[in-house]
Amino acid sequence: MSAISTKGSGALESAGVLMRFCGRILGEVYSLKVMKYFGEALRQAGILILSSTIVIWSLTFIIGLQCGIEGAYFNRSVGSPAYAGVFAAWCDLRELVPYSFGYMMAAKVGTGIVAELGSMRISDEIDALEVMGVPSLTFLCSTKLLAAWMVLPFVYLSGVGAGFLASYLAVVQQIGEVSSGGYQLIFWMFQNPPDLIYSVIKGMTMATAIVLVGCYYGYNASGGPVGVGTATAKSMVLNIVLVHIIGMLGTQLFWGANPNAPIGG
Amino acid sequence: MASIGQRALMPAKNLLEEAGDMVILTGKTVVSAIKPPYPYGGEFVSQFLFALKLCWFPLLISTVAFGYGAPGLQAANFLVLFGAIDRLGGFFVLASIREFAPFVTAIVLAGVAGTAITADLGARKIREELDALQVLGVDPIKNLVVPRFLALMLVTGLFDIYALLFGIFGGIVATLVNGAPLGPFWATFFTNASTVDLWGSLLKTTLYGAIIAIVCCYKGMTASGGAEGVGRAVNQAVVIAFLGIFAFNYVFTQTLLATHPEIQVIR
Repeated sequence: MSAISTKGSGALESAGVLMRFCGRILGEVYSLKVMKYFGEALRQAGILILSSTIVIWSLTFIIGLQCGIEGAYFNRSVGSPAYAGVFAAWCDLRELVPYSFGYMMAAKVGTGIVAELGSMRISDEIDALEVMGVPSLTFLCSTKLLAAWMVLPFVYLSGVGAGFLASYLAVVQQIGEVSSGGYQLIFWMFQNPPDLIYSVIKGMTMATAIVLVGCYYGYNASGGPVGVGTATAKSMVLNIVLVHIIGMLGTQLFWGANPNAPIGG
Repeated sequence: MASIGQRALMPAKNLLEEAGDMVILTGKTVVSAIKPPYPYGGEFVSQFLFALKLCWFPLLISTVAFGYGAPGLQAANFLVLFGAIDRLGGFFVLASIREFAPFVTAIVLAGVAGTAITADLGARKIREELDALQVLGVDPIKNLVVPRFLALMLVTGLFDIYALLFGIFGGIVATLVNGAPLGPFWATFFTNASTVDLWGSLLKTTLYGAIIAIVCCYKGMTASGGAEGVGRAVNQAVVIAFLGIFAFNYVFTQTLLATHPEIQVIR
């Protein structure tokens, strides 16, 4: 019994430490202290663009294909193949593009940050930064968060585009039970700008959480080369759970009470 | 001129080489799993329990959240407009059994158990323990990769059932939130559920387990470059595993749907 309660309080304690750490990074960004290292933020943004966009787009593209075929077959089974656009529009924009973006962010960017910061920590480079008078948290973590906020909305929007294109290819070109115009009519009728904005908010919340978690596990890594690997693996656990919880809360918040569909009143 | 061409083609060549290496590793693993002797029993059990212990809680939260949010709330919203909320059960056969239970299981297994395997094997590689094993005459494929391969296949397949149950639980919550009774949900669920869907789902997840195990073992066993190397290996392993899972998911679902038209009929 006491073992369980120790474990529980341990988890609570580390959650508190994590929250405080994230609060500090967010504070540095909001108070604009991070602007002193804007060059570093730009460099991080460049790295993010060059190394991560292609894989994020590939995953959203594959997910778009998936939504397309499921939508086409589902609507065929209910006898309305012309309405495959409804399924594709909701599946892509509201649910699966945010999820796949979160998955790929966690896999590519999150673990990348942990590996990078973790190896800096165990080779004492972070301490060296502090000795040289550079605030390491601002220089390493806050710049990454700023870079993510600068770049990722655009990466996300183009990812949505990749998903839309893939759904179109799957429904119209591959399955081919609805004409191009008929598909597009329904597809665009069942979404509007607020939907897109909500979707971006969902994706950005996931991205922020992932960058913060990655920074926490990397910055506080310990235990030699093995420790870096373990920290990377551990960050992935928390990231996956967070992605799903944020996805669910976002759906509940944005569409829970209002389906936002052009049907009825 | 030739060097520019070489540099431009280098990433593509590396990618193809890696993919080829992974296929070779798959072949070696399967052969080595079948050929006697079978010294991997103990390691198999410990890896199975390891994955079980690590994944059950993240998987529980993930599937309930996904089931409640994506197919639950969105589809319920849509169906309520038509006064056909009872159809949510039928939709959950498509959504949960065919789609999201398998892939959420795979994402969680790749992210949680797969990364742990890569970190473990990568650490052994850079501490030269794998070379030491080989010097001692112990085959790392037979003793390390085969048990992980079999354990992940089994545990991912079994976790699919668990994910199904909790995903459907998410759907039940969505039904109750909409104030609808559960009887119609179960009625449409069971009239639409088919064994083809179930075995398709199980087969798909078992093969996901194989993909995850091979990618993660390969990346762990080829880690290099000290401390950063292990972290980078984990990073690459999880990216490749995710892309592989979804690409395979698309091909498998398409094949299953096209070859079994009877599962598409809504009853």
